[in-house]
Amino acid sequence: MSAPRDRARALILLGLFAAMVLVAVASIRFGAIDFSLRQMFSATLALVTGREPATLDGRIFAELRLPRAVMCLLVGACLGVGGTLMQALFRNPIVEPGLVGTSSGAALGSALYFVLGSVLKFNAGPWALPVAACIGGIAATYVVFALSRAGETGRSSIVMLLLTGLAINALCLSGVGFLSYIARDPQARSIIFWNLGTMSGADWKSVTIVGVATLGGVALSLRYAKPLNALMLGEEEALYLGVNVARLKWAVLTINVAMVAVATAFTGVIGFVGLIVPHILRIIHGADNRYLIAGSALLGATLLSVADLIARVSLRPAELPIGIVTSIVGVPVFLWLLRKRQYVF
Amino acid sequence: MKLKTLALILVAAAALPSCSRFGKTKGETAGADRMVVISQQYNELIYALGAQAHLVGVDYSSTYPPEIKSVTTVGYHRALSAEGILSLKPTIVIHDNNIGPEQVVRQLADLNIPMKTFDAKDDSIDGLKALLREMGAYFHKEQRAEELCATLDRDLAAALERAKTYTTRPRVAVIHYGRASNVYLVVAGKGGSGDGGAASQMIEWAGGEQAIQGKGMERLASPEIIAQANPDIILMTEFGFDRLGSLEQAKTLPGVAQTNAARNGRIYRVSEHQLTYFNPETGKSVEQLADLIHQSQP
Repeated sequence: MSAPRDRARALILLGLFAAMVLVAVASIRFGAIDFSLRQMFSATLALVTGREPATLDGRIFAELRLPRAVMCLLVGACLGVGGTLMQALFRNPIVEPGLVGTSSGAALGSALYFVLGSVLKFNAGPWALPVAACIGGIAATYVVFALSRAGETGRSSIVMLLLTGLAINALCLSGVGFLSYIARDPQARSIIFWNLGTMSGADWKSVTIVGVATLGGVALSLRYAKPLNALMLGEEEALYLGVNVARLKWAVLTINVAMVAVATAFTGVIGFVGLIVPHILRIIHGADNRYLIAGSALLGATLLSVADLIARVSLRPAELPIGIVTSIVGVPVFLWLLRKRQYVF
Repeated sequence: MKLKTLALILVAAAALPSCSRFGKTKGETAGADRMVVISQQYNELIYALGAQAHLVGVDYSSTYPPEIKSVTTVGYHRALSAEGILSLKPTIVIHDNNIGPEQVVRQLADLNIPMKTFDAKDDSIDGLKALLREMGAYFHKEQRAEELCATLDRDLAAALERAKTYTTRPRVAVIHYGRASNVYLVVAGKGGSGDGGAASQMIEWAGGEQAIQGKGMERLASPEIIAQANPDIILMTEFGFDRLGSLEQAKTLPGVAQTNAARNGRIYRVSEHQLTYFNPETGKSVEQLADLIHQSQP
C-alpha cells in the first residue's frame, strides 16, 4: 500500500473521529431539555467526583442524557463493526450484523418475555428483559451455527451458514408474529416498539455492560482485519494464503454475536446501521478491512447518535423510535454516494 | 472528493444542533402543581371534574374532550421517554399502570418523581363512580364528582326506561378499529366487567343482544364468523368507519356484505367514546343507542 493512500486513510479516520465528537457534543446538549454548557459542565463534574448533582436538571443530565449519548456511540460502533465483519466474512453486500439469527433471536426472546413473562413469573427485576433478549439472540445464533455444520463434512461452508441464518431468521420472526397475534394489546405494542429500538432506557449499568462488549469486540476485530482481507479472495484462496478459515469464522462470528446480542438486548432491534455503514466507507475509500473496521466503529457511532438526536428533538417532548429514524438519516447519504461513485462491492 | 464528503458530514453535524434550538419549553411556574397524566380515561374524567387547570402533559391517546388537544403530548403511553416527561417539570405523574417501557418507569422512580395511580377501576358503572369519587377527593372536586355520579345514575335509569318501551331485541355486532387484511377486531366481551364488557353491557341495557359471543375485548374475528353470526345491526367505531368512508363502502366488506345489517343498510358509525368504555356520559349514550338500534329501517 502506497504512502499517499495511507495518509488519505489516516485523514479520513481523523475526519470521522472529529465528526463523531461533534455529534456527541450535540447529542448530550440537545433533546427534550436543552442544557447550557455550564449546566453540562457542573453536572459532569458532580458525576466525576461522585456527588449527586444539585438540581433535577443536573440529575437528568447525569443520569439520563449522558448515559444515553454514550449508549448511542457504543451501539452505533457495535452495529457498524458487526456489519463490516459479517459482510467481509460472507463476502456479500446485503448482510446485516443480525443475519446469523442474533437480532431475530433476541426479538423472539423479548417477545416471549413480554407475552409469557407474567404467566411464567420470570418478569421479576430490571434485568429480565435484556437477559431474555440476549439469551434469545445467542441461542438462535448457536442453532444457526450448529445446523450449518451438520453436513457430511462437518465443516460449515459460508453459503450454508448464510442460508441457515436466513431460515432461522424467518422462523424466529414468525414466532414473534405469532406471539404478537396472541398478545393482548399492551403486550403487542411492547413487541412492536421493542422491534423499532429505543435508547431511552439507557443507564450507567447498561452502558458499562454494552461498553465492555463493544470495546472488547472492536479491539479484537482489528486483529482479524488482515485475515478477512485474505478471505475476500475466496475461502480456498485464503486457505492457500495460510489463513485458518475455520478458526477465523468462529472468531468473527463469536465477536459479532457477543457485541450484537448484548447491544440489542438493551436497545431493541435497530436495523440498517450495520448494513449501510460499511458500504458508505467502502465507497469513500475502498474495501481494506483494516480501515473499514476502525472507520465503521466511528461512522456507526456518529450515524446512530445523529439518528437518536433526531428521534429526540423532532417531536419533543415526545420521541420517535430510533429504528424509524436510522434509515431516514442513512439512506440519503448512501444514495448520494452511490450515484456519485462507481461502486463495486 | 474525499474532502468534500468529509465537509458534508461535518456541515450536517454542525447544522443539526442549530436547528434544534427552537421550541424550547421552559416551565416558569415553579411551586405550582404541574401534572402529567398518562391515561386516556383519567384525562377524560379530569376534564369532566373540571380539574384540568394544572394539566401540563398528556399522552397521545388522550384525545377526549377536544380541548385536551391543546395540552402538550409526551408521546405514546407505551413508548415514553423520561426526559420528555421531565422537560415539562411535572410535580406529579399520574398514570393507570398501562405505561412503558419498563426501564423508563424505573428511571422516573429513581429520580424520585412522585407518581400516582388511582385505586378504583373503571370496569363497571360502580367502578366508574368509585373512580370519580376517588379522583374528586384527590383534586378537591368532591361536589362535582357527586353531581356527575348523580347525573350518570339518572341518565342511566332514564335510558333503561326508554329501552323498555321497545319490544324487539335486535342482534348487534360491534366492529372496532376497522379491518386489517380481512381480520376484524370485534368487541365481544360478556357484559359486566373488564375489557370489552362495557360495549356488551351497553348493548344489553339498550335492549339489544350481542350477536357474536366471546370473551374479552377485540377478539379477532374472521369474515366468516361475522357472516355466520348474521347480526341485524353492526356498530362500527369511528376510526374504522371513517377509513372506509361511507355506508356503501362498509356494506361491501367481506363477511359484512352477507349480513342482514348490510342488506338493510343498518351499519352505524358510533364513537369509541360512546361505546367502548364507561364514562360520565354513558347514561346518555345508552339512551341514544337504544333509539339507534330500534329505529325503523331506513
